[in-house]
Amino acid sequence: MKLQPQALHKKSLLMHPVVLVTCFTLFGLLFAAQEWVNMHRAGYNVSPWYTFRSWGAQYFMWGVISWVLWRCFQSFIENASAKQMVTIVLPVSLLTCLFEIMIWVALFPSYPKGHSAAPYWARVGWNAKDDLVESLSIFWGAFFLFRTMGYHQQLREKEMAAAQLEAQLANAKIAALRMQLNPHFLFNTMNSISSLMRIDIEAADSLLEQLSSLLRMTLERRDVQLIPLHDEIEFTETYLAMQDCRYAGRVTRRLTVDPDLHDALVPAMILQPIIENAYVHGLSKLDRGGQLSIEVLKDGEWVKALVTNSGLGLGVEPDEQLNGHRVGLANVRNRLRLHYGDGCAFSIREIDRGRVEVAISIPLQLSANAVESLTRYGV
Amino acid sequence: MIRAVVADDEVLARQKLRQLLRDDRDVEIVGESATAQETIELVRAANPELLFLDIHMPGMDGFDVVSALAQQPEIPSPRVIFTTAYDQYALRAFDVNAVDYLLKPFTHERLRAAIQRVREQSQLRQQNAGSANGNGPAPGFYTNRIIFKSRGRILFLPVSDIRWIGAEGNYVRLCTANETHLLRETMTHLEEKLDPRGFLRVHRSFIVNLKYVKEVRRETNGDSVVIMDSGHKVALGRSYRSVLNDQIHQA
Repeated sequence: MKLQPQALHKKSLLMHPVVLVTCFTLFGLLFAAQEWVNMHRAGYNVSPWYTFRSWGAQYFMWGVISWVLWRCFQSFIENASAKQMVTIVLPVSLLTCLFEIMIWVALFPSYPKGHSAAPYWARVGWNAKDDLVESLSIFWGAFFLFRTMGYHQQLREKEMAAAQLEAQLANAKIAALRMQLNPHFLFNTMNSISSLMRIDIEAADSLLEQLSSLLRMTLERRDVQLIPLHDEIEFTETYLAMQDCRYAGRVTRRLTVDPDLHDALVPAMILQPIIENAYVHGLSKLDRGGQLSIEVLKDGEWVKALVTNSGLGLGVEPDEQLNGHRVGLANVRNRLRLHYGDGCAFSIREIDRGRVEVAISIPLQLSANAVESLTRYGV
Repeated sequence: MIRAVVADDEVLARQKLRQLLRDDRDVEIVGESATAQETIELVRAANPELLFLDIHMPGMDGFDVVSALAQQPEIPSPRVIFTTAYDQYALRAFDVNAVDYLLKPFTHERLRAAIQRVREQSQLRQQNAGSANGNGPAPGFYTNRIIFKSRGRILFLPVSDIRWIGAEGNYVRLCTANETHLLRETMTHLEEKLDPRGFLRVHRSFIVNLKYVKEVRRETNGDSVVIMDSGHKVALGRSYRSVLNDQIHQA
């Protein structure tokens, strides 16, 4: 499943330039109508055209100015801090109002009535005195309107991303129940058990027990998305123990975890597909002397996991490349991106002849509440 | 000889235990039952020392059986090993003092370990009966076993099985003969829980079981280490040296 940017960034209809400017102008005309009616009632004889064109032009200009400012500085408007509002937006609002008044005065030299002969700057001064407060309210009104809209937009986007993440994880879980994105694993394990049953009952028994433990751990997680590394490692250890059984003597492995990271939150079942990939595409091609190293370490504010295996290296499996090769890794990469966006890294490379390293980095985030545990002491 | 009763509503489950215990010379199955009521009657009649008890059975469940048996002072309650597919009753089982909690499917090895516990516990009982007025802290002050979950299994681990304990961040690692388990716990708290006559803090980050200490040696670089039976080396902290020497001389 992929994120659909067009769905996420659907713009509000109000922000279409024509709609916005029309709305502003209609507001202006509404105020004009109000003023004209009041004047008329008070006995002044003012032509409607005189009132409507000055109000209409003023609000039309504000519509255009607002749209241009929003268009150019949308993310700043949506994210500006209180300090930025005082130090940047406030001066800008004053300048913008002055700018609007200057244009308006230039457009309507005959306003205000009876002062048409006065010099330009004097008229700007009068208008500023009368209209500055009103203009500032329009500016700030628009500013906060856009901010609120942006906030809701972001909220919607977050909700949608969360919904998609959930869907993705639901899929991952189903896959896990089918034994980790690869039903072959489950069937191969069962076949191993079936075969061991005839020659080594104890080994068959222990493989079966490990398979049940793996299922138990998977089911216990329910729909939790981020789990403490400690839990992920327990799962991995059981998986590795089963692989030991199947690759008896052919692979030596090493698993090291930085003790400070036992509580670090990691996406559930993120290591297993990487390790499975190491077995399927690397270690299984070797008759003996296979080496697998899994290392989870702290790198500043990052949790870094390195899975290195010996084998035939990358790019020697043309058939499999075409047949959805490394689906597990693609899934890992997708889930990382959904969890952390650009704040994560994934790489696969050949570090040596035949040795392949998969590396992932995610932000260090410690599980806040202590995991509920069964531990109890008996006396 | 341990006389045992197997209570499980599934024939195959009972058969499995019978099969696995066939080669075990000191366990004898004296009866099988398929319901809670049958189990209570069977235990009353056969008076076994050990009861393999399924939790979900027709009628009452395994815990009802345990409490029904406890209410009959005329017969001693058997030791109980729960066998179940459900992991959520482990704490209750621990609280009613079950010997072990076997999650189905379990291996022969796991079963053997559970029976070993039964043997150890009855030995301990006899010893305690023999030296009821011994000195030392009152029994029940220190932990003798720990229940926890590890890799999808439930363990009722006797502390005597622990070889050494290492600190790892907010966790401690318990090392037994062939496994290690990570527990969310502090060294200080654990040290308080363990009987100081058996366990000794030898380093800020390590506690050892004295029973498994082979020797203390000074390395060529001047650091001291505790060498365990298994050959594993545990660092010995400078300020802990004298305490360890005293303990070893006492032993």
